[in-house]
Amino acid sequence: MASVWLALGLRLLGIAAASALAGAIFGAVTGLACAALALAALLTTHTLQLARLQRWLKAPERRDIPDAWGAWGNVFVELYRMLRREHKAVTRVQGELEIFSQAAEASPDGLVILDADDRILWSNRVAEQHLGLRGEQDVGLLLTNLVRLPGLTDLIAKGSKGTTLLHRPGERKGMVYSIEVVRFGKDRKLLVSFDVTQIERAETMRRDFVANVSHELRTPLTVITGFIEHLVEDTGGREELARRQLLIMDDQAQRMLRLVDDLLTLSRLEGEVQSPREEEIDLAALVEDLRLEGLRLSNRRHAVLGMASPDRLRGSREELRSAFSNLVSNAVRYTPEGGSIRIHWTIRDGRGVFSVEDTGIGIAEEHIPRLTERFYRVDRGRSRDSGGTGLGLAIVKHVLLRHQATLEISSQAGLGSTFSAVFPAWRVLPPEPSSAVTQPQDSRLITKSAS
Amino acid sequence: MPHSEHLSKQFDSDLEDIRSRVLQMGGLVESQIRSAIECLSSGDYDLMAQVTDGDRQVNSYEVEIDDACAHVIARRQPAASDLRLIMAVSKIVTDLERTGDEAEKIARMARQIYDRGRLQIPRSADVRHAGELAVAMLRRVLDAMARLDAQEAERIIAADATIDGEFRGIVRQLVTYMMEDPRTISTALDIVWVAKAIERIGDHIKNVAEQVIYIVHGTDVRHTTREIVPESDGGN
Repeated sequence: MASVWLALGLRLLGIAAASALAGAIFGAVTGLACAALALAALLTTHTLQLARLQRWLKAPERRDIPDAWGAWGNVFVELYRMLRREHKAVTRVQGELEIFSQAAEASPDGLVILDADDRILWSNRVAEQHLGLRGEQDVGLLLTNLVRLPGLTDLIAKGSKGTTLLHRPGERKGMVYSIEVVRFGKDRKLLVSFDVTQIERAETMRRDFVANVSHELRTPLTVITGFIEHLVEDTGGREELARRQLLIMDDQAQRMLRLVDDLLTLSRLEGEVQSPREEEIDLAALVEDLRLEGLRLSNRRHAVLGMASPDRLRGSREELRSAFSNLVSNAVRYTPEGGSIRIHWTIRDGRGVFSVEDTGIGIAEEHIPRLTERFYRVDRGRSRDSGGTGLGLAIVKHVLLRHQATLEISSQAGLGSTFSAVFPAWRVLPPEPSSAVTQPQDSRLITKSAS
Repeated sequence: MPHSEHLSKQFDSDLEDIRSRVLQMGGLVESQIRSAIECLSSGDYDLMAQVTDGDRQVNSYEVEIDDACAHVIARRQPAASDLRLIMAVSKIVTDLERTGDEAEKIARMARQIYDRGRLQIPRSADVRHAGELAVAMLRRVLDAMARLDAQEAERIIAADATIDGEFRGIVRQLVTYMMEDPRTISTALDIVWVAKAIERIGDHIKNVAEQVIYIVHGTDVRHTTREIVPESDGGN
């Protein structure tokens, strides 16, 4: 800055000195004329440079930067440097952007970016294949207009992480894609589509396999158990040893049959896409049924108590009954003689809770998360002796899943366990006016438990 | 977009909303036809019930969209391309609703056939094929509507002839079937009804395609031969 002023000062000083000299020699008029001429020349050069700069600014091209000496030269050099820095920065940013867009393009999952109004801003090629979009041509169109999957509008409007929607495009036969919507930035949405065809196919194959094998095994097993039963009953002229062996055979064959039946139940539950039947279940009656069933199983070795609030539950009676009875029979099986088992149906914070509490052997904490896995055994020897199939809790879990309920397990080794099925509030129905009679009956049960 | 920016943003969003709702309805009808065809080959009673339920939803879409159209006409007095859109939409909705009815009819026929205890349906592969053609046509016409692609709509109009051909083929084969074994007559007649429903679906879709051309070009191409249809001049 200072140099510009200095140069101007020097120049003006030079002009003034030269004009004064000319004035002294040739007279004042000549001197002033010289000064005027010199100033005019100075102004012209500056205007000329300014014009060049202006011309260049209209079409800024780095190599066309004007060349000059003096102060203008400095200005142009600075301009040149600035442009070079900027160019470098732009190249770097462009390179980075390129990397990101290449990465997004290379992603094996389909990606679509939507703006606040759900219009397409950008999509990668995989998404175009998955969803039948047409790249640039579809930018700015509403995604839900092009992918008219029932339920997609809702997913985009209020989809949260983890909720997915299956898309089976008609134009790509047999392919299955899973669609998820993630929110980012301000009102932007990222739609991700995964190809789950293989997973789906493998899952179907596994399910079909289990179902088929169980089915195929069931028929011969029924024949075998039938004959063994006949042999056991027909004791005529057989030795004691042979009879005992037959009893063991009968026992094991029955176990196998139960196993196959449970496997069939499980694969049926898994394969069921239809939501469960919505019946109104009177839990008080069901609890009483389960209590009697528990007593029968226990053979009077335990005290079995039931207690139910009069509220009813919405769901499939058959499925829930089998799940609950699994919980009861587990409790009977793992509770030593003299222990007690309580079956409760209560309302907690509006949600329905069915729980089975026992004073049994309990479960160590590390086993609890894995209990609902198929064939998971806490203690290999013991549970097999007790006659379980190892599938009971898996069935319970599936039935509850189908009813949007969760299974809560709390247990202390040596003291007992509580298995609770917690149902969402909308599955709980207020008691029927006429069913108020069940209430006193329940209190009777409670008093019995107290005695 | 056929309609440019209006002074009132609300008007734009009303029109856009109507268009999306029609497309949503179309998506639902598409899945209805697909389920109905599926019923026919699987005999899945639950799915049949689902189709019946779905049809109720289709009907309520129709009522809603018609209502929205009436509202726009009353409140905004649309002109030019906007009016064209509204008029075309109200016709498209009718055709889509009838398509939904045909889908329900197919599901009902499926129930009737399976109730009679038939496990194998004559010519079911052909019927399925024709059904898939219809579903693909519907999907394409909805795409054309979303993209305002009049050329595609013209191609769809031409494609209707394929479905008609399929229908005639199925009927011809069923006639020989019935002549060979009179016991199959009742089932074969049901199949004819199903095939007829699919053929009707093709006609409805053709009507929708004509309305799409009307939205884009403003030319009424109903009851004309194809040559009169103007070449696309960039449309919008």
